[in-house]
Parts: sequence; structure tokens; C-alpha cells
Amino acid sequence: MNEPAILTENLTRAFGALTAVDGINLSVTAGQFFGFLGPNGAGKSTTIKMLTGLLAPTSGRIRLLGMDFAVDPVEVKRQIGVVPEGMGLFERLTGAEYLNFVGRMYGLDRETSKRRSDELLHFMQLDDRPKSVIADYSHGMQKKLALAAAVIHGPRILFLDEPFEGVDALAAGSLKALLARMTERGVTIFLTSHVLEIVERLCSHVAIIHKGRLVAQGSLDELRAGISADDSGPRTLEQIFLSIVGQGGGTHSQLEELSWLT
Amino acid sequence: MAHVTSGPGIFAQIRLVAELRWRVQRNLIRNRNSRLDLFGMIWAALFASVFVIGLCWLFWWGAYFSVSTGHFGWLLLLFWGICLFWQAFPIFIAGFGAPFEFRTLLRFPMRFSAFYIIGLAYGLADFAAICGSCWLLSVAIGVGSAKLSLVAPVLLVIVLLIWMNITLERLLSSWLERLLARRRTRELLFGLFILLSVSAQFLRPAIIHYSEGARASVSALRFVSYLSPFPPSLAGSAVIAADEGRAVQFLVSVGALLIYIVILSGLLWRRFSAQYRGEELSEASAPVQAATKLSSAVEQQKSDPLRLFSPQIAAILTKEFKYLVRNGFVLISLLMPPLLVLLFSSQFAGKHPSVIHTRITSDSFFPGMMGYLILMLMTPAYNCFAYEGKGIRNYYTAPIRFRDVLLAKNLMYAAILFFEIAMATMLLSIRIGLPSSPVLVATILALVFAVAGQFAIADWVSLSFPRKLEYGSMRGQRGSGVSIWIAFGVQILLAGICTMILFTGRWTGNPWLPAEAFAALAAASLGGYFAALDALSVVAEKKKEILIETLSK
Repeated sequence: MNEPAILTENLTRAFGALTAVDGINLSVTAGQFFGFLGPNGAGKSTTIKMLTGLLAPTSGRIRLLGMDFAVDPVEVKRQIGVVPEGMGLFERLTGAEYLNFVGRMYGLDRETSKRRSDELLHFMQLDDRPKSVIADYSHGMQKKLALAAAVIHGPRILFLDEPFEGVDALAAGSLKALLARMTERGVTIFLTSHVLEIVERLCSHVAIIHKGRLVAQGSLDELRAGISADDSGPRTLEQIFLSIVGQGGGTHSQLEELSWLT
Repeated sequence: MAHVTSGPGIFAQIRLVAELRWRVQRNLIRNRNSRLDLFGMIWAALFASVFVIGLCWLFWWGAYFSVSTGHFGWLLLLFWGICLFWQAFPIFIAGFGAPFEFRTLLRFPMRFSAFYIIGLAYGLADFAAICGSCWLLSVAIGVGSAKLSLVAPVLLVIVLLIWMNITLERLLSSWLERLLARRRTRELLFGLFILLSVSAQFLRPAIIHYSEGARASVSALRFVSYLSPFPPSLAGSAVIAADEGRAVQFLVSVGALLIYIVILSGLLWRRFSAQYRGEELSEASAPVQAATKLSSAVEQQKSDPLRLFSPQIAAILTKEFKYLVRNGFVLISLLMPPLLVLLFSSQFAGKHPSVIHTRITSDSFFPGMMGYLILMLMTPAYNCFAYEGKGIRNYYTAPIRFRDVLLAKNLMYAAILFFEIAMATMLLSIRIGLPSSPVLVATILALVFAVAGQFAIADWVSLSFPRKLEYGSMRGQRGSGVSIWIAFGVQILLAGICTMILFTGRWTGNPWLPAEAFAALAAASLGGYFAALDALSVVAEKKKEILIETLSK
């Protein structure tokens, strides 16, 4: 028992000569709020796409909630919710129509889908423009709608690719509260974000990917302990992150190369 | 920063923009699908070239004939024809979508003079401008061939006319850009264009019907004589004056042309300077007032017409229907089939066919018309994910098999086909009467065979050669070249098979033979379609990366 909610074994994805994700082994326990970090182009989105069925791995295995993604993709997808990169909304539907559509796609009956759509629109404060199509929404509103669509069927794992990007502080607060409550109820949340403060505040566990390889994985305390062997070592997630993927003193020397800029 | 003391010169900026456009075009054909597309583009370019070169020859001959025989009135007509095409064609094309926004270049430190010249240069790169310029040059060569002494004056006149046309076209386009910033306005213009095009087709049958074949008495030449103060007539007058050696008249006409150019340039300068200052054109709609919500009790009373289907298929059908009714272009294009049925029935069948003397019988006309409808209506099915955009990911993240997605999309197309064919059949029954029972049954079964057979192929093509289309826009909206050619090939093949079977019934003297053959083929076709759905799900899985990448661009 106690099978991890998310488990990858030697997960690899190559695009021609470029190996974007190189044999990563992830293990996320059920109910964890898991942060997946990495610099631009490190392989975060490629990994999340493979975990959600949007991209086929070149090799390796994915098990979600004990089920093999390759063997039973439909059942696996029934258990997960996704806010993909770029959100993937049907822009010519209204918010309510889109949520109804997604609910029905996950097999909810018409009444349940309608009721949950109304509740989610109200919670996300998107119910004041019922006739507007999504194309007319602001970026932040689209993000909120994408998140609402990801949770409408009550997923057991939630994959969020940059969920707070463009969302105002007020809405971000509500969303964070919602996500925290979901983890309390046993939902596993797998989140990528470039805002390290958000990850530090929300996530109990973190993995860092760099150049396609997993370079760190564990709880925040474990990472702090691992990095700060000496007392003067880094403490914040940003410092941990920079010490793992940064190139010691590199930023300074690079700035000197751009001396013409200042 | 200190090094940016002077920006690049005007010509350097123009060269940079030209390079940018070239690189964008070159990069577009880098992947395999796009390279295959290139063949389609080459074919289209060949057809366009035949059209342009053919008319070049005609204009050369017209100009030569007009000058060598002294019928200068015809020269004025040629100028008017070319100028009208030059100005009218881009207006209608503009209705097909948003133009390339060269105004986006304004974020760079571009001088207004460079902006103005680049704006004009875009005008010269239009299809209408290329056609117009080629045809005017052909006229110049025609005039010069007829009278060598007219070469210099006619060249001067042609250069001025080209300049005037480019300026006027850019002026009209920039005003249209303001008007067409909203999708609904574009759709309205497109609708007007379609209605005008179709209405024009009814003119000839109407004239023949009401005038019993009498010739129209309107003389184009007489009409043009009333338009002497306008540029095409002024250009013609200048050439006539040069031929007759009336220097003052020639100078007056050329001067008037120059005045037109100065006035239009001034107006264009004003228009472009507004754009240069940062005029905002927005597609976003005005805030919408909150609508009164239906109470949930009322909502629940509404019965679900799609309850026969699984929730997933019902959801996709609902979404497809909403996309259909919100896409004005597609909706308007659905009006075409019944209108064309009316048009063709008046031209080739019925009691008084206007194009042929002996009417085509209903037994021949009805199957032919249905085949034509299928040709028109099935083509979009070969790019059935065109309007999904980034939403395509929903089909891959949702817990469904892709066969359900394809089935739902095909059901939607089948419903549209059923509606259109029912409308056309009703109109034909009123206009020319229904065909005999064997032909009617055979045609309906042939439709089932052709449609079901095509769906499997169309689904494969949609997955293998997807092309994103902009919702509510028609400019540059075409499927991938490969899919168009496959669709064309399949339809020709199916039309050939159906025609052979229909004629076999006549040759053998057994009127029910085609119906029996089509029944067998329709059953096989339907069986093949359902058997193919699982295989297509596998294809969808294999092609998901290219599909998502192409549609999410």
C-alpha cells in the first residue's frame, strides 16, 4: 500500500538530438503540495505534459495513483485535473459553457455539471459576465477559469503549470486557500511556478530540474539541511534554488560583460 | 544606450522590414507539412499567373485595337476596368479577415517618412496591385505597339495612374481597417459580398426571362463619357490628346491626375499620421451587462435533446453547435448550397433553362446536384480541428477515447449535411420536381456511401495535416495544401464510382440496380467507418504533438 500518487521511473523525452527530460525519477506522496522548479528550458513543462498525457515519453514509466499511464490512460485522466501551459481554453465559449463542457467531458451528468459550474464561477468571481466569450476575458480571468475547469470533476491529483501568472493578489489569495483546502482533503497538487516565494509558502515538498535532470528532491527542510551543511548556508528557497542551478558568481561576471548597458 | 545617437536610415528600415517578411515566409515552410503545402501554393500561383497573363494579353490587344483603329473610347473602358478591379478587389478581400498589421512596427524607432513609404509598399504587394500594374503596363505596350510616338506620354500616364491607384487603395484600406476592426463588421461585409456574388448570378436568367432574350440597351461607352473628371477617364483623355497633338489638353489631363495624387496623398498622410501617433483599434467587445439568469427550475425543465449520447459526445456536439452559430462566416457559407441549387436549376433544368436549350431531366440533374453539394460541404471535414486552437488539449487531457471526439465531430458534419441536403431536395422538388423513385433511392444511398467513406479519410487527413484557422475570419484561411488535394482526389474518385454505377443502371435497363449496388456500398462504407475509428484513435495518439503544436500557435 502507500503507493506514491505520482511516480516516474527513468522518464525521458528527446526531441531529435535534444534530450529535454533525461531519466527523471519522481516520487510524490498522496496529499502533498509539490513544487516542481527549474530555470527556463529545464524541462518542467515537458515533464508536466508527459504526466498529463499531452506528450508521449520517449522511454520510462509513469504511474499515477498506482495506475500505469500507458496501460489505462482514460482511467488515469479521470483522476487528474490539469491547468496546462497556455491554458487550452475554447475561446469562443462563454465561461459557463466551457465549464459545462469540461464537466461533461469528465462524465458528470448535466445537472451536476451545471451546478458545479455555477458554484465555481461564483467562487472565482467570474459570474458577472455571463454572455462574454472567453476570448474577451483578461489573462487573469482566463487563468481562474482554467483552474475552475481543472477542479470541476473533483480530481485526486491536480497539475498546475504557472497557475498564478497574471492573477491579481485578491484572486490569488482565494485560489491559494482553495488549493490548501484541497490538499487537506488528500488531493495531491503538482505545481510549477517561477515565483519561488509562492512555492515556498504553499509547497511542502520540492523537486528541482536542471538541463533535463532532477538535481534535488525532498521536503523544504531536507533541502535546507542538504544545502546548508555549514552554518552560513542558504535558507530561503530562492537561495537553495540559486545554489543548486546557479553558476556561482556567474551573474556578476555576466553583468560585467554588459558594461555598455549601464 | 549612448551609442544609439542616430537610427537607421529610411531605406535601411524598409530593407529590414522586407527581410523580416521574407524570413517569416521562409520559416513558415521549414517543417514537413508546410513544405508539402508549398505544392498547393505553387499550383494556386500557377492558376493566378494564367489569369493575370491571360488578361495581360487581352489588355494589350484591346489597347492596340483601340489606338490602331481610332476607337479611343475602348481605351477609357480598359482604364476603368483595371482601376475598378484594383480598388474593389482589396475591399472585398478585406472583409475576409484582419489585414497584416504593419503598425506593429511602430514600437521601433521608425520615422514617419519610413512608415509612410512602407505603408505604400504594402499597397504595391497586394494581388490587385500586381494585377493592375501588369495590366496597365500591357495597355502601355499595346498603345506603344500601335503608335510608337505615344510611348513616352502613355508611360507617363501609366506611372501616374499606378501611383494614384496605390495611394487610393491604401487610403481606402486604412479606413476599412478602422471599420473592420470588429469581427461582426467583417462578417457583415463578407455576407454582403456573398449575397452580391450570388445575386449577380441571377441577373442573366432574369434578363433573359423578362426580355425574351433581347439585348441590354445600356451602353458602357456612353456611360463612361459621363465620368470624364475621374482619373481613369483623365488618363484616357491624356493619351487621346497626345495622339491628336493637343499639348495643352494633354498637360491639363496629366495635371489633373497629379492633383488627384496630391490630394489623396495628403489624406493618406493624415490617416497614417493618426496610426503613427498610436491610434487604437481593438477587437475586444464592450463590457456586457449581466444577463438575467434563468432560474434553475426553469433550466432543469428544458429537456436535453442530446440525452441519447454519452456525456462526452453530447458535450462535444454542444460545443460544436455553439462554435457554428457564433462563426458568422461559416453560417453565411451554409446559405450558399440552397442558393446555388436555385441558380443551377434556373440555368440547366426546369421549364425555361437559361444556359442551354434542352433542359436536363430531373433524373440526371438531381444526382448531379447532390454530388456537387457533397463536394462543397465535405471539404471542411478534411480539417475538422481547424477552429479548436489551444482547446485541442482538452481532448487529450479528458478521460475519453479519441474515437468519441471524431464520432462527435462527424455527427455534427452529418447533421449539417442532412439539413443542407433536405433543404436542397425541397427546393428542387418545387423547382423541377423529384426524380423517379429508383434514382431518388439510389442517390440517397450513394450519399451515405460517399459521406461515410469520406469521414474516415477526412479524419485521418485532419489528424495528419492539421491547419489552424482563425475563428470568424476568412483572409488567408485555407486548409493545408495536402489536405485540399487529398479531398479533391477522393471526391473525384467517389464521383467517378457513383457516376459509373448510375449509368450501369441505364445501360442494363434495370433501374433498381444502382440502388442495390449503392446499398451494398453504403453498408460496407459504414462498417469500414466504424472499424476505422479505433485505428484513428491510435493515429490521434501518435499525431498529438504535431496537432497540439500546430493548433496552439
